[in-house]
Amino acid sequence: MTERESWRLPPRAVLLAAVILLLAAEIGGASMARFKLDLARWARGQMLARPAVHGLVGVRDVDERALDEALFRFDTGLRLFHMHAEGMALVVIATTTTAATLARRPGVRRALVGALTLGGVGYPVGYLLWSALIPAWGVERSKTLVEWLIWIPFGGATIVALAGLLAVIAARIAGR
Amino acid sequence: MRRAALALAALLALAGSATAHHTGVYTPKDNAITTNFKALKFSVQAGKFDVARRLFDEGPLRKEMQARAASLPNGLESRAQAALAAKDGPGVERALMVFFAALARDLAVEGERQLGAGADAAAVGPRFLEAIWRYYNLVDFAVGQRDAKASVAMRLAYDDAEGATRAGAADAKRLREALRRMAQILGGVVEIAAN
Repeated sequence: MTERESWRLPPRAVLLAAVILLLAAEIGGASMARFKLDLARWARGQMLARPAVHGLVGVRDVDERALDEALFRFDTGLRLFHMHAEGMALVVIATTTTAATLARRPGVRRALVGALTLGGVGYPVGYLLWSALIPAWGVERSKTLVEWLIWIPFGGATIVALAGLLAVIAARIAGR
Repeated sequence: MRRAALALAALLALAGSATAHHTGVYTPKDNAITTNFKALKFSVQAGKFDVARRLFDEGPLRKEMQARAASLPNGLESRAQAALAAKDGPGVERALMVFFAALARDLAVEGERQLGAGADAAAVGPRFLEAIWRYYNLVDFAVGQRDAKASVAMRLAYDDAEGATRAGAADAKRLREALRRMAQILGGVVEIAAN
């Protein structure tokens, strides 16, 4: 294998961020299994303490569906954090390695690696934040907040960086 | 090596672009009472009255019947038990129909009361309607068999109420009127079937 053909590693800080994300995903998954009942009980208690936020009307037959849906979303947020954090950690490592290997211009390489890392690490955290906010803010309000604060900027950064990586790959295929 | 890297990167890029955020799909679940009702109903339909009796005696439906005894026709619980003991399928169906119609009626009354007290029709209305329909829908067929006019009137009142809760066009007055109609229809079903 020649020097020109070998893989180049991304900066160590990128690898560290990806491994921390992977660790957070595993700790999150293990905690979900270990503290499932405690988490659900805590979330339910918080929701019952804020009836107006969750549109509770004080009639069990009416409120049980609203509470069930909010608890479902709370649990879904935790699950999606676990899954996305696991997946995105590996995506960050693979895409930044590819960018570091194929992007010739240092500026382009830095921009791609930076956006892929920030986007990939930040995006899953949105699910964790969403779950944490649901009991106090309600399902829709917390979703809107997280969308604008995390999912759109960090997810957008990932998509733009991946488009940039595609352009780099295309340029390399074209022999430029 | 370079080609492999290129192929891997292209694959990853495609996979990554599909990572649009999603928040799961919520499917409403039965509660303990409706679950118990369904098991009971299927047991009766299958002629397994011993199973149905056990499901009734030990299940949450009977507990709810006892808890709401004050708003239910006198002796509803004992009538259900007697019908189960006599292996009288239509008798069991009638008792359960009365129970769920009464639950839905009480919800319509409470919804109307809360709207009268100033609750937001667009926010509170759909929740009450969903809860009313969850119970009524279980016995709509039985109601339709005994009183087709009541079944149709209930559906019309429900449609009217749903239309009055649309976001941006919520009409509390129309919704209250529809809920009053529902309470009246269901009250009639309970009264006729219980006597």
